[in-house]
Amino acid sequence: MSAAATTSHTGLPRTTATAGSAGRVILKRAAGSVFVLWAAVTLTFFVLRLTPGDPVTAILGGAGSSPSPETVAAVKAQYGLDQPVFVQYLDYLAGLATGNFGTSYIFKVPVLDILGPQILPTFQLAGLALVFAWAIALAFTLLTVGRGRVRDGIGRGIEVFFAALPPFWVGIMLALVFAVILGWFPVAGDDGFKSLVLPALALAIPLGGFIAQVTRSSFEEARAQPFVLSARARGLSDLAVRLGHALRHAILPGLTLSAWAVGSLISSAVVAEIIFARPGLGRSLVDAIINRDLPITLAVVVIIAAVYIVVNLLVDVLYRVIDPRITEKGATA
Amino acid sequence: MNQRNAPWAPTAAAAVVLLALTGCGGSASAQPADDTFVFATGKDISCLDPHVNGDMPQASIAANYLDSLVSQDKDGKIHPWLAESWKVSEDGLTYTFKVRDDVTFTDGTKFTAEAVKANLDHMVDPDTQSGTAGGYLKPYKSTDVVDDTTAVVTLNRPYAAFLEVLAQPFLGIESPTALKRPQAENCNSPVGTGPYKIVDYVPQSKVSLVRNEDYNSAPPFAQHQGPADIKNLEWQIVPEDSTRYGLLRAGQVDALDLMPSVHFAEAEADKNVALVLQDRPGNPTNLMLNTTRAPFDDLRVRQAFLQSVYVEAGINSVYFGTVTQAGGPLASTTKFYSPDFEDAYQPDPAKAARLLDEAGWTGRDKDGYRTKDGKRLVVHFPYTPAIWPTAHQALVTQLQASGKQAGFDVRIETGDYASVSEQGNNFDYDLRADYWNTNTADVLRIVFSSEYTESAGFVPNGSGFRNKEFDKIVNDALATDDPAVREKLYYRAQQIVSGNALQLPLYNQASQLAVRTDRFANLTLEPSLSLPYIYDVSAVKQS
Amino acid sequence: MSVALEPTTARGSLAGSPRPGQPASSPRGTAKAAAALRKTPIGVWIAAALLAFLVIAAVVPSLLIRQDPFVIDPATAFTAPNAEHWFGTDQNGRDVFSRVVAGTGQSLLLGLAATAIGLVLGGLLGITAGVSGKWLDSAICRFVEILFAFPGLLLALIVIAVSGTGTVTAAIAVGVGTAPGYARMLRTQTLQVIASPYVETALSLGRSRSHILWRTIVPNVVRPLFVLATLGVGQAIVWASSLSFLGLGAQPPAAEWGAMLADGRNYIQLAWWIAAFPGIFITLAALTTTVVGRHLQQRLEAEV
Repeated sequence: MSAAATTSHTGLPRTTATAGSAGRVILKRAAGSVFVLWAAVTLTFFVLRLTPGDPVTAILGGAGSSPSPETVAAVKAQYGLDQPVFVQYLDYLAGLATGNFGTSYIFKVPVLDILGPQILPTFQLAGLALVFAWAIALAFTLLTVGRGRVRDGIGRGIEVFFAALPPFWVGIMLALVFAVILGWFPVAGDDGFKSLVLPALALAIPLGGFIAQVTRSSFEEARAQPFVLSARARGLSDLAVRLGHALRHAILPGLTLSAWAVGSLISSAVVAEIIFARPGLGRSLVDAIINRDLPITLAVVVIIAAVYIVVNLLVDVLYRVIDPRITEKGATA
Repeated sequence: MNQRNAPWAPTAAAAVVLLALTGCGGSASAQPADDTFVFATGKDISCLDPHVNGDMPQASIAANYLDSLVSQDKDGKIHPWLAESWKVSEDGLTYTFKVRDDVTFTDGTKFTAEAVKANLDHMVDPDTQSGTAGGYLKPYKSTDVVDDTTAVVTLNRPYAAFLEVLAQPFLGIESPTALKRPQAENCNSPVGTGPYKIVDYVPQSKVSLVRNEDYNSAPPFAQHQGPADIKNLEWQIVPEDSTRYGLLRAGQVDALDLMPSVHFAEAEADKNVALVLQDRPGNPTNLMLNTTRAPFDDLRVRQAFLQSVYVEAGINSVYFGTVTQAGGPLASTTKFYSPDFEDAYQPDPAKAARLLDEAGWTGRDKDGYRTKDGKRLVVHFPYTPAIWPTAHQALVTQLQASGKQAGFDVRIETGDYASVSEQGNNFDYDLRADYWNTNTADVLRIVFSSEYTESAGFVPNGSGFRNKEFDKIVNDALATDDPAVREKLYYRAQQIVSGNALQLPLYNQASQLAVRTDRFANLTLEPSLSLPYIYDVSAVKQS
Repeated sequence: MSVALEPTTARGSLAGSPRPGQPASSPRGTAKAAAALRKTPIGVWIAAALLAFLVIAAVVPSLLIRQDPFVIDPATAFTAPNAEHWFGTDQNGRDVFSRVVAGTGQSLLLGLAATAIGLVLGGLLGITAGVSGKWLDSAICRFVEILFAFPGLLLALIVIAVSGTGTVTAAIAVGVGTAPGYARMLRTQTLQVIASPYVETALSLGRSRSHILWRTIVPNVVRPLFVLATLGVGQAIVWASSLSFLGLGAQPPAAEWGAMLADGRNYIQLAWWIAAFPGIFITLAALTTTVVGRHLQQRLEAEV
């Protein structure tokens, strides 16, 4: 790494703290995350206000010819749309602090009533997809790295191929083969572990191919390290060396990669949710965008961003806990 | 080098957490329990109270928890239901209903004549935004509650179709106590006297209902009395055609509606699946032509459009022939339907070309579209794909393409439901996809008379047609009970509509259900709108 | 999947350190190029050939198309692939092969436009941050950090929410979605260029700052962009077609791969070819651009 690199190779924002106790650093990082979250919410709030079209139309559901002015005024008052934008913003922030995300334009009920049941399914899907993706990546890496050029080439080829696959196409093909034709898995729905498998795989295969490329290069670097040679000199079998030493060294960048992957999975889970008719945040978001349901759109964005920021924060903390050598430059040997 | 002893700790911890997350995902079996009937519907339900707006998905589910004042049999005759008897005054303006005194709503409120007043008033209240029920009740004036079992309904003009519309779930009777709640709340948990009651609602996902154990108001067309056989009813919302059908095939749901035409052949071959098909009366699925602005303000251009599109080819291809083509303003299953208008507009490119020339659209631009005074013949068609079956979306694409050959630049402008509806209500379109299911030929008045060019809720008269002669005819037909007179009047009405090329009829609306026959039996269609009727379903005895 | 992001940052900085003023075609340079060509793996050649085919399909589809992709023919709907219709016909009787080829132009253009927008936006942010003083650099970094709080498609979806659906907005949306990643990379690259001896030399020679900026910094930052673009186009194509699949991008009857997949999904059991072939082409586009781009990047790095 060039000494001039001023962003950590993990892609995380660097702290301006000097080397202090781990606690102070973590606190500073947490404070930074809160700031980022607040800024993201604010940015989204004002950007979404730019949406053209009258929210009253969306709320009244395309009302019959000329809704009466009283109806329009009543709707505006009910949803706070008659206030100046900045007041609406402050009201929204205050609401967030108490867990109130406002009222859906389309469903006319509190946003959390709609989104509540969608959150866990999305996380289940993302979580399982992450596990599958890592399994795929590790399988490729362990089986094909350093075992000859042919294997290596095949491994690389398949990884690149997987990474290029569009997740929605994979989902359709998986559903066709394994659910419709073979009947091994349910076609759709949210009914236990079995109905999670195909949607998770659809997301996991492209992600796995991508992660595999990263773990492959980390693995190759690690294999060349002196500690590997000395381990083998001590008589450890190749397999033990692989599993034990080299892999452990790759965990750290793996954690960061996983944090990024979680974000990517949650935001692209929508295609799997649609193909397999599962409830989920992604699907709610797309429907809200299509129907111009601003409160739901805003809420989903806030939730996803919050989760992503928290996950990154946790990984960052974990990183420093696992390897105290991490300096604020973020580089490891 | 890192000498920590438990390098696997973070991964192991993560794995445990993930397993915990994935482990607790609902029931383990793919098949629902034997006392639960799962129905998958292909269209999302905007509000569970069918008074609000009022479309077929709402009516379908409402039939399970709402009873109506009167019922209809399959021949169209009216019978008692929540109303035991009624008397109509000589001038047809006053209906005196005697209602049952032994029925209770599932929230404990007793059913009385007060409920009749509360419900009818609710439907015509502008704040309810009732396009359908409110539209049917334009002749309604007021209700007087004489005593607990007597309600006197006053109309502002004779309305021969009044009892017919009262038999539909759109005008189902809800608890007055429940109606007093804010509309948003009532939309999520309406309360009725029906065989089922709502226990849970996950928007865009499913509605859970449970049997009403005190049910004692089954209509005459039901096959039994008392509580329903099936204890739990689950109404799942699955808009994707192939997913919905896949769920049925796999046995994860027991029945579905909006049976996708592409899977008909497969369903017919499957011995565990039965198809329940019934064409519905009313105004067929169609494209409305907006006569209030150019280019369709010119009759010749309208006629040219109707004669340049190939509906039959579309129905045979993307619908696989599973729907009945309609050529006139009434579906063939409607009373007083006349077949004379089926072939009024056959595809005839030469004639279409002549008509367009006559109307002044003589130029052609470099893309082949017709022009007049340098302006292109553009037809704006706002459209919300999400609320139409896949086959319909493919059909309109075909109509667009065949319109192009005649020189029409049909622009399918996809948009969200609210915006497209608003355009629809402001006559800001040239084509509008439409249909109207109802059990009476009075639908012609609702869809084509001047009175219905305005409405709270959606506007039914999509063509904007205003014709005094037509208005008189359809209102006269309401004022008389003589079937011969009504037949003549409705024939003339159909003639006027057809002659004015107000809409492009496509095919009859139909109830198309698929049911699994290995677990449950006896899914029928209720007579008023041919909606799925779960009340008489019973479990098949597993041997 | 952000193919462009992690591998490069994991492996290190972007291609090579700057070489101001060195002509591209020195005798030594040509000999090196020839040697590199000989060492190119067969896989890359195949990918390049397929990519060329796609580009031809995009630019001159009439060479390959045999039937009008928009003309309907309901009588021949749902025909399986045969000699006359290589990829079969869809629900309206349209030739799928013609539609897929016709869609190449639109889909590739979407990906290219999105990548270009992302690079321009990201470049503006990143280069400005790199050459600016601490305060502006910090501010821009913070801003990009906030944008990074929106993972994956989320930024793109926000743009769509505001600007509506359609091909143009889809391109802008994907561009905005990829911009933060490019911003960060280009900032790093800019800082490297600034720290290089050539800039120091130029400074000591008394060149004006804008001269250095435009003659030294920008060209050296921009040069590796071409490779970045090839890596990014594949991902942009997948993202853009995802948006179309969701109904947020290209609208029917447009012959765009994602939209065709959404259409064909409903007939998957009856006519698998309607959905299969557009998907194959999306994968092909992403795959070939990635392989070729990756190879070019390695070549560029090796030349240092």
